[in-house]
Amino acid sequence: MKVKEGYLLRELADTFVVVPTGKATLDFSGVITLNGPGAFLWKLLSEEKTEGELLKAITEEYEVEVETAKVDIVEFIEKLKAADLLV
Amino acid sequence: MTSNRNTKLYKITNLIVEIRSRGEILTKRSKPYEVQGRSKEGTVNIFIVPDFEEFERNKDIYPHLTAEDWEYIRTGFAFYDSILDFNGFGLHASALAMDDRAVLFSGPCGIGKSTHTRLWQQRFGKSKVVIINDDKPALRLENDIIYAYGTPWSGKNDLHKNIRVPLEAIVFLKQSQENRIRRLGYKEGLRMLIYQSLCPRKTPEKMDKLLTLIELVLKKIPVYQLDCNIGFQAVGLAYNRIFAWE
Repeated sequence: MKVKEGYLLRELADTFVVVPTGKATLDFSGVITLNGPGAFLWKLLSEEKTEGELLKAITEEYEVEVETAKVDIVEFIEKLKAADLLV
Repeated sequence: MTSNRNTKLYKITNLIVEIRSRGEILTKRSKPYEVQGRSKEGTVNIFIVPDFEEFERNKDIYPHLTAEDWEYIRTGFAFYDSILDFNGFGLHASALAMDDRAVLFSGPCGIGKSTHTRLWQQRFGKSKVVIINDDKPALRLENDIIYAYGTPWSGKNDLHKNIRVPLEAIVFLKQSQENRIRRLGYKEGLRMLIYQSLCPRKTPEKMDKLLTLIELVLKKIPVYQLDCNIGFQAVGLAYNRIFAWE
């Protein structure tokens, strides 16, 4: 899976924000705020990735237990799916 | 509406803008911004030429708009899009000036922005409270200060003034039985500002510029949420919070 085209990720102060640009504004009118790990996953998902690849990357980047990371990733993916941001 | 186009120079948000207009609405509302005596050496920062062929081709999409209305709206879009290249952006808000400080009341259509600023004028008097722009004030960063500016594009009413006032605060309105005001946290303020700011073309480059400006605004000025009903008490509450020394 990967994120749809046309979204801009920006770091602002201590948070990250994702906004639609161009045609994507027709699909999504909201704003998403992400924390560090969320932004990290979002960036990875600019290319096709499996859950397994995400899990490996996040456990390497952050000091987090595999089981915790698994739950967080699933939750994150569900959020993106609910907002129809994944292809 | 005459068929000739008038090309005139204007000074809007401290930028030189050349607009080629035909319609009454635009011509009338831009008059206070006209630059007298066109200087040949001067640079024009922004060129606005509405594409009437486009309007003719798409007239059916806007059955409620006359060519004149369409020109007014379109030139507004072009302007707010252009100022993003000059550290400026538009906010969907009713902006007032009091004691040389600007307060913008923002929020979705119909929330009561104009109603609220009108109450300020009734409460303090029209000589004390001036409406900078009733629908789309422009904010511009110049010399490290954020200024609120009037522009010819003020929505339904011709309520705007060719002035520049340092920005004091932005207040997002919510309709409520009880009056309450609170300072918004960074993320909340960010979200509200993105929703209500004008970025017509929404290309990644323009959105990026807008976010940079919003980030600056959040650093420099307080953003509040005012839950309010229609009345002077709401005005007093906001006034005390924004202007009174803490």
